[in-house]
Amino acid sequence: MTENLKSVLEALIFISVEPLTIERIKEVLPEDSEADIDEALRRLIDDYAEGTQAIHITRAAGGYVFSTKPAHDPHVRRLLQIERRKKLSGQALEVLSAIAYNQPVTQPEIAAIRGVDSSHALHTLLENNLIKISGRKEAPGRPLLYRTTDKFLAYFGLNAIEELPSADELKKLLEEGNS
Amino acid sequence: MPDSDDILDAPGPTAPVDGASAVLDPAVPSSMPAGSEGAGGDGSAVAALDLTAPASAPVDPEGYQIRLRNFEGPLDLLLFLIKKKKVEINDIPIAVITREYLAYLGQLEKMDIDREAEFLLMAAVLIYIKSQTLLPREQVLEPDFEPKQRSIDHLLPYDRIKAVVELLRDKEEEQAQIWQRSALTAPLPDGDLDLVEVSLFDLAESFFALMKRKQAETARVFKGKEISMADKMSEIVEALKAQGAIDFLDYLWAQETLEEALIAFFCLLELIKARAVMAVQEQLFHTIKVWLRKDAPEKDES
Repeated sequence: MTENLKSVLEALIFISVEPLTIERIKEVLPEDSEADIDEALRRLIDDYAEGTQAIHITRAAGGYVFSTKPAHDPHVRRLLQIERRKKLSGQALEVLSAIAYNQPVTQPEIAAIRGVDSSHALHTLLENNLIKISGRKEAPGRPLLYRTTDKFLAYFGLNAIEELPSADELKKLLEEGNS
Repeated sequence: MPDSDDILDAPGPTAPVDGASAVLDPAVPSSMPAGSEGAGGDGSAVAALDLTAPASAPVDPEGYQIRLRNFEGPLDLLLFLIKKKKVEINDIPIAVITREYLAYLGQLEKMDIDREAEFLLMAAVLIYIKSQTLLPREQVLEPDFEPKQRSIDHLLPYDRIKAVVELLRDKEEEQAQIWQRSALTAPLPDGDLDLVEVSLFDLAESFFALMKRKQAETARVFKGKEISMADKMSEIVEALKAQGAIDFLDYLWAQETLEEALIAFFCLLELIKARAVMAVQEQLFHTIKVWLRKDAPEKDES
């Protein structure tokens, strides 16, 4: 039974271009128990991870998706005619970090952290859907509030924002780095 | 705002105008008793105020200068010093500053809105800081409560943000080597640019393909028709202005001769170099489009 379920899951993930969430899987397979699905999924992922296949199943933004293994990066890029993947600028990364750790956060608050204006980087991040506007702060001027998106998680290979080290862990990291 | 006098400052006796005394002296504020000023205070600390500041406030090309007994200079410097705790806020008579500033505004024949708006903003911050120090504090507030820092205290400090940046950069690097099929259908997120700008090689590759086609087609030779780069460039800019965007290949293809196409190609390269236009591939394997840059410097090449 689990073997069959495993193969069903494989098909579902294969056909999904965007990460397939566990919620969606349950919707599609109402007759299977949650425990069965979890078990089958885990075994499927292990099979790919340990196997010699060129692809594996990665988690991104809380969903599952087939990806090529890192070893094949050069060849894939040649096929796609991409010399180098575009990277976020240091500025954009800073703003993104400030938002990720303080969300929801306003532009003046981001500026207060960084000490410089961040409007350009904010614009770029918004256009790339790495952040979104989540409302307005009940403060003078009612400034817009920003949050990170699921695409942010997927872009950095995270499943949840909690996977980033906590503020205290960061402090420790910094202290270790300095000593 | 005369009403605020009682709260903010108790005007003290007039001090003699002394040019030298107006120079900022860091020793003065620190030696001054802090908090000697309250509602209806006796103004002992404020006694040092220069209330005789002449109605003819100076119109300085560098902006409005504040002249107090213990400070002289622009408001932003004052604000900076207060934030750095080099100057005690309680020693700064805000009512005097506002009164004199209003007098100064009244004298101005022409107002520089930007400059005055900036002044107003800084003055508002100053008043805010001062009002926070004067208001009775609620006991529930933390003992080290600082009005000007309250808003950023709960935010992650910058050094830790820098650590996160390093971490995210590693993750980005890691993720960059993993490909999903969505890469074929969706453009990748890119950092600095709004769209995927194409490289010179992309342009050249497209062009060489075109040249081959053009060469095969041609038997027509036009003599005597000379086209200058400058003419072609303004022609391209005109076309862009009229159409918004042009298809890179189609445009070159539409040129009458190979030579003209060549010139158009070089013109496009020049325009891209001058950052007047932008060559963009909206998606992988799509055609290359050329746009006028919105932020392009309005410069006429011809």
